[in-house]
Amino acid sequence: MTILGVGVLKGLGVTLKTFLETYPWGRVLLRAVGIPSANGLVTIQYPDERQQHSERFRYFPFLVYDKTPDDLRCVSCKICEQECPPACIHIVGPAKDEQGRPLKAHGRTYPVKFDIDMAICMSCRICVDVCPFDAIEMDNQYEFASPDRFGRLVFDKQQLLKSAEYFKQIKPSEAAEVDARLAAKQAKTAPPAKPAVPPNPSSA
Amino acid sequence: MAVDQGLQSELQKQGVYLTTWDQLANWGRSNSIWPLQFGLACCAIEMIATAASRYDIARFGSELFRASPRQADLMIVAGTVTKKMAPQVVRLYNQMAEPKYVISMGACATSGGPFHTGYNVLKGIDRYIPVDVYIPGCPPTPQALLEGLMKLQERIRSRPFGAAMDEKRGEYPVPEFGKAGLEPRYNPDMFQPRKGWWEEPAKPATPSSTP
Repeated sequence: MTILGVGVLKGLGVTLKTFLETYPWGRVLLRAVGIPSANGLVTIQYPDERQQHSERFRYFPFLVYDKTPDDLRCVSCKICEQECPPACIHIVGPAKDEQGRPLKAHGRTYPVKFDIDMAICMSCRICVDVCPFDAIEMDNQYEFASPDRFGRLVFDKQQLLKSAEYFKQIKPSEAAEVDARLAAKQAKTAPPAKPAVPPNPSSA
Repeated sequence: MAVDQGLQSELQKQGVYLTTWDQLANWGRSNSIWPLQFGLACCAIEMIATAASRYDIARFGSELFRASPRQADLMIVAGTVTKKMAPQVVRLYNQMAEPKYVISMGACATSGGPFHTGYNVLKGIDRYIPVDVYIPGCPPTPQALLEGLMKLQERIRSRPFGAAMDEKRGEYPVPEFGKAGLEPRYNPDMFQPRKGWWEEPAKPATPSSTP
């Protein structure tokens, strides 16, 4: 059986909590009662202090590399380029030698050029969802205002590259998920890959 | 500027304050930018949030969103500029008080954003009016807007008042919304289309394709 008005009272409780959080004495009161309290409706003095965004806050995508910047996870499959709703990703690649064979770095093909036009990007995260290699992830940086639209807001590969450590730092739980998925994938492919290794150098 | 920085701080310790006309005027101008109150799409909601208590644009002296372009210095183009709306935006810019500044807020105003492959959205307001600061994001967070505003303040402080008065004045031709969209499609003095600016200039694949 439901009691009428419980939801309304709960909502009013949230309002009251936010009201109390706004004032120092209110925060003391809440702490005394044992309710965890944030900073209520206090103005964020922006250039001096920054808002604590939640872990899921996202802005623009970046490319993940594992240890060194040339060891990027992207294999230039161009799925993100095709799936991007506003079509802001431009990829040239994969890199090829004179005979047209794909060049490889750390056992993977890699893009020659990877540009994202941040002036078009709508932060939808679809590129991250479709990437089969977890090579692209969402960043939480937002300070990109500039007077130069084509010079500064079109990010090339060097500007987009960020380490897996950085990703782990800004989004620990998502990075753990991704790492678990990558480890599982490696475990799946590793046992058949080991016997397959000896014929490979002989054929090449 | 004209007064040596070290001498100035030394004099300030003695209670003597020296400045130049430019510095004084720019100090006043950069801390009292009055934006024009108009929003076009969802970015305007973030702009409203910036004006509200949590982010408080009044800390930068820009809290007076004017309802009339005659009283405004800054136009925050917040949102999607449809082709039908573009002539009105340019007309509002022309009516603003000089020197006037423009912030292009968000993906839509800067480039057309998610609609940039569509038929009815202007692909960047910089085709008709000069933009001072572009803020990317969809929409930019209020803090990103504040950062853009700070960039604009720096820009205002960095050049002499007279030069700004010469640069940031004048009227721009208002496009006409006709049957085939906007006429002209862009202001050639402001904007030149870039063809294939993201592509490789020369493809090394041509020798392999010939055999």
